[in-house]
Amino acid sequence: MWEKSKALSFLLMLLLLLVVGCSSNETSNEKEEQADGEDIDLKDPEEVEYPDEITYWTELNPSVAQTSQSLNDVGVYQELEKITGTKVEFKHPSGEGTDITEQFNLMIASGKLPDVIEYNWRTVPNGPDKAIEAGNIIRLNELIENNAPNLNRYLNENPEVKKMVTTDAGNIYTFPFIRGDEKLMVFMGMMIRQDWLDKLDLEKPSTISEWEEVLTAFKNGDPNGNGEMDEIPLMVQPDDFKYIGAFVGAYEIHAQFYNDNGTVKYGSIQPEFKEFLTTMNKWYEQGLLDPDFAAVDTKLLDAKVTNNQLGSLFGYTGGGIGKYMGLMEDQIPEFTLSPTPHPSLKEGEKAATAQLAHPYEGYHSASISGSAENPEEIVKWLDFAYSEEGHMLFNFGVEGESYEMIDGYPTYTEEITKNPDGLPMTQALGKYIRASYGGPLVQDVRYVEQYLELPEQQEAVEIWGETAENEINMPPTTLNADESEEFNSIMSDLDTYYDEMVVRFIMGEEPLSNFEDFVATLKGMGIERAIELQQAALDRYMER
Amino acid sequence: MEKETALQLKHKSSLSKKVASFIDRVKKDFKRNKMIYLMVSPVVLYYIIFQYGPMYGLQIAFKDYSPALGFLGSPWVGFEHFKEFFNSFFFWRLLRNTILLSFYSLLFAFPAGIILALLLNEVRSRIFKRTVQTVTYMPHFVSLVVIVGILYDFTARDGVVNDILGFLFGIEPIAFMQQAEWFRTLFIGSDIWQNVGWSSIIFLAAMSNIDPSLYEAAKMDGAGRFKQMFHITLPGIMPTVVILLILLIGKFMTVGEEKILLMYNPTTYETADVIGTYVYRKGILESNFSYSAAVGLFKALIAFTLLVIANGIARKVGDTKLW
Repeated sequence: MWEKSKALSFLLMLLLLLVVGCSSNETSNEKEEQADGEDIDLKDPEEVEYPDEITYWTELNPSVAQTSQSLNDVGVYQELEKITGTKVEFKHPSGEGTDITEQFNLMIASGKLPDVIEYNWRTVPNGPDKAIEAGNIIRLNELIENNAPNLNRYLNENPEVKKMVTTDAGNIYTFPFIRGDEKLMVFMGMMIRQDWLDKLDLEKPSTISEWEEVLTAFKNGDPNGNGEMDEIPLMVQPDDFKYIGAFVGAYEIHAQFYNDNGTVKYGSIQPEFKEFLTTMNKWYEQGLLDPDFAAVDTKLLDAKVTNNQLGSLFGYTGGGIGKYMGLMEDQIPEFTLSPTPHPSLKEGEKAATAQLAHPYEGYHSASISGSAENPEEIVKWLDFAYSEEGHMLFNFGVEGESYEMIDGYPTYTEEITKNPDGLPMTQALGKYIRASYGGPLVQDVRYVEQYLELPEQQEAVEIWGETAENEINMPPTTLNADESEEFNSIMSDLDTYYDEMVVRFIMGEEPLSNFEDFVATLKGMGIERAIELQQAALDRYMER
Repeated sequence: MEKETALQLKHKSSLSKKVASFIDRVKKDFKRNKMIYLMVSPVVLYYIIFQYGPMYGLQIAFKDYSPALGFLGSPWVGFEHFKEFFNSFFFWRLLRNTILLSFYSLLFAFPAGIILALLLNEVRSRIFKRTVQTVTYMPHFVSLVVIVGILYDFTARDGVVNDILGFLFGIEPIAFMQQAEWFRTLFIGSDIWQNVGWSSIIFLAAMSNIDPSLYEAAKMDGAGRFKQMFHITLPGIMPTVVILLILLIGKFMTVGEEKILLMYNPTTYETADVIGTYVYRKGILESNFSYSAAVGLFKALIAFTLLVIANGIARKVGDTKLW
């Protein structure tokens, strides 16, 4: 009798433990099991259907928001619903930039998660591994192998991309946005008013000193011909210096962390950075750099360009050259924004760094949340975008509506290229496809070939691609949970101080003789520890 | 031994008697004033649900909070976050900016409403008075985002303010919103512009309560309008002023963070960054919830202390007090 009840209670306890173990996502037990890939009860892929309905959180791109309330109104998802029968309930945060970060963080904190969350999980506080551990999202390795044949094939055929989407702990955490061709990876750089150059009989600048000559000529030569000295020769924002290396690249460094033959360095504490600041300070004092550079938003920038005041700026092929040339077409027919090479210090040299995207960077990638009830079905649904049929749908939209096959080449119809409602191409594309701004898919080079219709835009991809080495750029490394907690706590105060000081140095409010103090303060705030952490991440990445 | 127990028992019974009589009294009172209890219940519920309830969450200031583990499940870390904040590079700057902005707003924005009310009180033309009142309290109803937008437009390099300064005094355009030394002026100045009319209303109301016979008596004694203002109007509204001042001091550490968030940028962090905006950046943007809870708690403690002190002083100096 006694024995029996003991055994019974033991069994009961075991059952209880099992229930507890299954219902909580963060127990380390289960994590290990998952990491081993054992003990996961995966359904036979043949049996898995598309889900009936899913909830999907993603920001609404501004070019889509112009014409649609939600992604449900967009061609690709309407067609997708017809094919898969899945009803998608999209949830879009409102606003832009930090508004989205804010709503994302609040959603995570509330614990009420939709099935799919599209976000840059690579950059969430404490990293993707921690997000998996906390149960916010799930590890996808086994699910992809089993239920996502298309993505699985792509990753196996492109080991370099697979390396990028896998964390150091070996987790694949997302359905990635992948740039499928090198031409898609360069889309940002310096551009200059070609018509102003012609008017003043100047050559396109390629070195820092040539830039200075051209900018001075813009300042004094009244190229816009209104008789006033109201020209603003140059507009570059602090974040372009900081994250992309605009002009900084000429000095053989990157402003942030960079990879100097396997050694991680932080550019802004190098002596070269002082040289860069000295030049910018000089340009600012001489009125070559826009006095508003530190606090400019898109609206203000648009106003400066369309007022015929701005001589050169840092921007996108589409959202810069394409947008402004379209806007100015009627107003000033000769208005031409033309790409310039990334400047270097010496003639004939290449800049050390400039904008160059990796095939995968983390943006617009879809992960499955811990509260999704049918991950296998969702995986199957997401995988559709990587299939032949899905690829065409996500990149070109609906055949017969947004594109036609002409000699085997998917050609956008006039609905896109010459929209009857007068929509610019970005917005017309936004009504049909996702490839124009990113999503869980492989971007097709044939999209960009048609999107960059102007010769200046085509030229930009070439010039910007060729004039920077980019060897020193960091690959998409990941920090593990503990490291990224430490890294974030160092960098959040440090970045505040950094942003402030760089602007003050350039504006001359802080004399450049204080540069050494600036470096010392950064060191006091722990930059050396941050470099160590990045070094560890880089070493691990190289070993993957 | 026995004696003690007897005493204890006696004590106990007297206590339970007291409790019982208290409950009795409440019951009686409730029966008599049912409607009043009903009327006050939404307010009480509001405080319980929205003010006291969330205090439960304050514990995360002493924990390493992770949403997945919840309030109870997250591990305790003691005063770790407080230590981190006190040692933070920006601690002194944040404290200084918070205190200075509060102090300046007490010094300039608070009297502005009183002065406007005093001036309006002396105006005899009712139409003029009404017009001034309407015009000055209008901005109070305009959204903060719009107010800051207007501020940006007016103070831009090619904005009205610079145009006027250039035209009148030949001053070179100043980028007001990008210079740390201008931030406090702009912040307090626009605050006065937005709220002066609104805050004058309560003082005008207090003035209308002053017994007119006092003015007549003063006139008989030969007091001019300035004398009347200083000896009758001002003392007459003093209790209101003191109460409002105490209330303001209670909010001392809360300095319109929403507005600062809209107004600041890296060039003005030096004078603009306050504890509240720091908490926002740390907590919401970097999802460092525990840390920002600790910082927020620290801020609340200072405000609470100041409130007690201010009330104490008011009690000593005059009869006006909060409790």
